[in-house]
Amino acid sequence: MDFDLLLGVGRFLLATTLLLLLTVPTAFIIIQMEMKIIAQMNLRFGPNRIGPRGIFQSTIHGFKVLAKEDTVPDQADRSTFTLAPWMVYMAAAMSMLVIPFAPGAIAADLNIGIVYFFAVLGLSVVGLLVAGWASYNKYSLLGGLRSAAQMVSYEIPLTLSIVGAVVLAGTLSFSELIAWQLEHGWLLVWQPIGLGIFYVSSLAEVNRTPFDMVEADSELVAGPFTEYSGMRFGFFFFAEYVALFIMSGILVSLFFGGWLAPWPFPAQLGGFGGTLYGAFWFFLKTYIFVFIAVWLRATLPRVRVDQLMGMAWKVLLPLALVNLFITAIAVVVFDL
Amino acid sequence: MTKIDPETRIPDPIELDRIEEDRLRAVAGLAPMRSPGGEYAGFDQVGIPDRPPQTEREREIYAIEEGEMLINMGPQHPSTHGVMRLLVKVRGEIVVDIDPVLGYLHRGIEKLCENATYTTVLTYVDPMDYLSTMHNEHAPAIAFEKLYGVRPPKRAEYIRALVVELNRVFSHGLMMGFLALDMGGLTPILYAFINRDEIVDLLSAISGQRMLFNFFRVGGVNFDTNDEFLSRLGTWRSNVMKNIEMNERMITDNEIFRARTIDMGTLSGQDAISLGVTGPNLRASGVPFDVRRAHPYSIYNELEFDVITQPGGDSYARYLQRIAEIKQSIHLIDQIIDKMPHGPVQAQVPGIIRPKPGRAYAAIESPRGLYSVYAISDGGPNPYRFRMRDPSFISLQAMPKLMPGRLVADTMAIMASLDPVMGGVDK
Repeated sequence: MDFDLLLGVGRFLLATTLLLLLTVPTAFIIIQMEMKIIAQMNLRFGPNRIGPRGIFQSTIHGFKVLAKEDTVPDQADRSTFTLAPWMVYMAAAMSMLVIPFAPGAIAADLNIGIVYFFAVLGLSVVGLLVAGWASYNKYSLLGGLRSAAQMVSYEIPLTLSIVGAVVLAGTLSFSELIAWQLEHGWLLVWQPIGLGIFYVSSLAEVNRTPFDMVEADSELVAGPFTEYSGMRFGFFFFAEYVALFIMSGILVSLFFGGWLAPWPFPAQLGGFGGTLYGAFWFFLKTYIFVFIAVWLRATLPRVRVDQLMGMAWKVLLPLALVNLFITAIAVVVFDL
Repeated sequence: MTKIDPETRIPDPIELDRIEEDRLRAVAGLAPMRSPGGEYAGFDQVGIPDRPPQTEREREIYAIEEGEMLINMGPQHPSTHGVMRLLVKVRGEIVVDIDPVLGYLHRGIEKLCENATYTTVLTYVDPMDYLSTMHNEHAPAIAFEKLYGVRPPKRAEYIRALVVELNRVFSHGLMMGFLALDMGGLTPILYAFINRDEIVDLLSAISGQRMLFNFFRVGGVNFDTNDEFLSRLGTWRSNVMKNIEMNERMITDNEIFRARTIDMGTLSGQDAISLGVTGPNLRASGVPFDVRRAHPYSIYNELEFDVITQPGGDSYARYLQRIAEIKQSIHLIDQIIDKMPHGPVQAQVPGIIRPKPGRAYAAIESPRGLYSVYAISDGGPNPYRFRMRDPSFISLQAMPKLMPGRLVADTMAIMASLDPVMGGVDK
């Protein structure tokens, strides 16, 4: 057999296994952050029983979810009902393939990484819609339809907001984009409007407060997840938190230099040490944005569904187009 | 299952109703409720009662057109403020019609009170509107004093006014939190509960209870003020404005909060009057009616306060009205502490009160509106009839007027702005 093919298969298996394994601690860490940080902001203690300062609370939650009974409503469409958590989780896990964690640590350094990322992450809406329909519950159905409307609308400003960055850098590959930022400075400086649009739309895309229409607990009980229990419910929540991590990671890669260190430090090192160094900065920056998302959740109420849609089409989309227009003219005029 | 012979079976009450209605309809020359060919169409549909509609309103709400569906919000729903069922007819996300279904928390408190002596009635009314327990006790206490012809000492009146105003502060404070919670804001409710906890500790220092205070007596109050109460009151007074403003800063100028409450659920003053809505909800619609000013009871004619109104009548106006009233209450508390006289806190009344036959009515301003008690005595040790008017029950009447045309998300926000407490509604 061809040695190169074997190597490729081995590399693929290793990368996917590592990424799937990475989703578990990521979800646990973000759930723990969410419980503990919101508790501090609410002037509560938060979980403090399991482990020192309660740091194993979310792990225990994970095991508890595994041990719970997995029920399917009588009238539900059993096959699609079972498939939906899978689809949502796989969409999140698959989009991790192109995230540039550190120099040399990208599972698949595709030359169309950005396109792949938005295509795959958008698949999760199918899972939510299916979950809403298959549950045979009116709240689930409303939640599923809301998710379809919201995520499809927000994908447009989300994608358009980074076209400016792509035009500037002239590449669709994440690693080349970071190489461009190493040379010209972080895209944050070049694309401030794009950053704003991207951040707002990414919150909506991963259903975070103030845009958590999909599982608006005070209106729709739990949206499409209402009828789910046990590990199927767990998969939805894993997917949600992983998606938050991925969105923060992509935000960092696109606008904040990815694995590049900020100014006083050397931006990039070589060798294996350089990989660790890059991964440190990547995770640090990513978790700062995760923290901001948690902070927003503790602070803001939820917008209404029509205000949400109005913002996507009336504010963000025109703004993204203007941003793209200005960037394109600047690229031509100043020959960037 | 055993088979029932249809010939000898005794029809159930609903079926008897149906037979009776068909008989009456035949007399009036109308077609029977069941269609001649077969069963009533609603039998096969999920979510519709398996009987023909009994009233015009039922017929209206259960008639579903193409593209509409019925959703039961509650009794097990995260934000129905207790156990209430909202039958919501929606077209997509737009609410077409709404029907509040009450009674899930009915405990028969009026009947319990009619079987209790006048003294123990004051303990039974406590769990009614469980966020304004002091007010619940205040109205029957005044009514029974009128019946028996006794007046509480001056100091008792001042202590009463002090505790009911403290109660009003935390009740309005919680409303701020619940309104934000029903829009998805997690933090204001916890800040509100911190404020509430301070007041509840304060009231437990004077009454010995944390929630169902059981503090009022016919002809006075249970305990005089004590050192712990007064020292806690001083601490609370020095912090309270800071705490309220901390919570206010999170809500009042928040863009999302304003976008979701301004022009939402607008109740005009005329509508509010014709529905019988009272209290902050009425004053938020621009009608300056406050029982404390219009029909002064206790010592309110000796105190100086403003009847604040808001021009808007929408959810945001109702929220601002609560904050303004919290500040008024704190102003009242300051005056009460300054003016409080010395003396006894309990008039001489026998252990078992037997008023002369007669009737008495007492109305007070509770945090939710005009809360009143009508008591009839037949000369015995317990009231012959004991009737309570709960303001949140009346406020809920406004919901079918406010919600149609709004979105599902607004139902909860508008309901929270009316600030109903199901314990009081269902009694």
